[in-house]
Amino acid sequence: MIKKILIVDDSPIARKMLKSCLPKDQGYEFFEAGDGREGFEKYKDLTPDVTFMDLTMPVMTGYEAIEAIIAHDKNAVIIVVTADVQMKAIKRVMELGAYMVLKKPLKREDIQSALLKVKDTLQKV
Amino acid sequence: MQEEKILSDEEIEILQEIMNISFGKSAADLADVIDTHVVLSVPFIKIMQVPDLPAYFKDHVKEYKTISIVEQKFWGRFKGDALLVFSSGAGRELIKMLQHETKTGFESDPIDILERETLMEVGNILIGACVGKLAELLKDVVTYTPPMVVVERDYSDAIAENRYDPDNTAIVLKTDFCFDEGDVSGFLFLITSNDSVSWMKEALRLFIEQYE
Repeated sequence: MIKKILIVDDSPIARKMLKSCLPKDQGYEFFEAGDGREGFEKYKDLTPDVTFMDLTMPVMTGYEAIEAIIAHDKNAVIIVVTADVQMKAIKRVMELGAYMVLKKPLKREDIQSALLKVKDTLQKV
Repeated sequence: MQEEKILSDEEIEILQEIMNISFGKSAADLADVIDTHVVLSVPFIKIMQVPDLPAYFKDHVKEYKTISIVEQKFWGRFKGDALLVFSSGAGRELIKMLQHETKTGFESDPIDILERETLMEVGNILIGACVGKLAELLKDVVTYTPPMVVVERDYSDAIAENRYDPDNTAIVLKTDFCFDEGDVSGFLFLITSNDSVSWMKEALRLFIEQYE
């Protein structure tokens, strides 16, 4: 079951866009962070069920944040939401332990099917 | 200052995110051609008076002794000038990287011709994909002039002081990049003027409306 969702992106507009694609009727609690470092700190405090993570961010990149979060919690579900759709970027985040990669600009259906997949995975655990 | 009010803070943030998506697309297109990873940075938007542009531009590229520039003008409802600035020696470095993938030109071509053609090709991919995606996201279509290339020029001579209308206000969209292999880095500047502003404000509103 998904209750807490953490959105990590340096762009307030990107966070707003992502939030608007998430279903409003599921009782999710949303938390936000503006860079990888803040994202990692919030992850440790909140242990969200799903973390949406941008890659290109100041202070601490998404790559570094994924590495830190996975080292802290190997079962973390991190969905990378990025404009960087180069094959090497995708390969690297998957090797670091990301759950999946979604391409910006986001579409509602992509987010919703990603969440369904996460729910399915969490049920099997 | 009036020029700072051309776009609101929120409009600048939306444009920044759109630039981020657009340059991500062009980096992926280039990575398909050259087996490298283009390391992206957070894009930056700056609004300024045109007479301040050359100094701003020089300030950003002064870390390079010489620069190469690929320039393309584009026009649609979104119109302006794209300047892709490469660090010293980037042309030759790109030739080496491309030669792993494909033949560029003929082996008998002098190095300066190969360098020019390689920069033009890489510039065409990066500028075309970025400007094209940006226009697409804002529901516009743009056409381009053929790319023009300036190879290994001293940075202080590279931009003429009087190239833009001094009465205009410029919106500068800047992103810097480097390659994870090969010593290549640079900046992409998209310079548009206040002619595009009223259209742009409406296009940005329509873009974000999808996410309200």
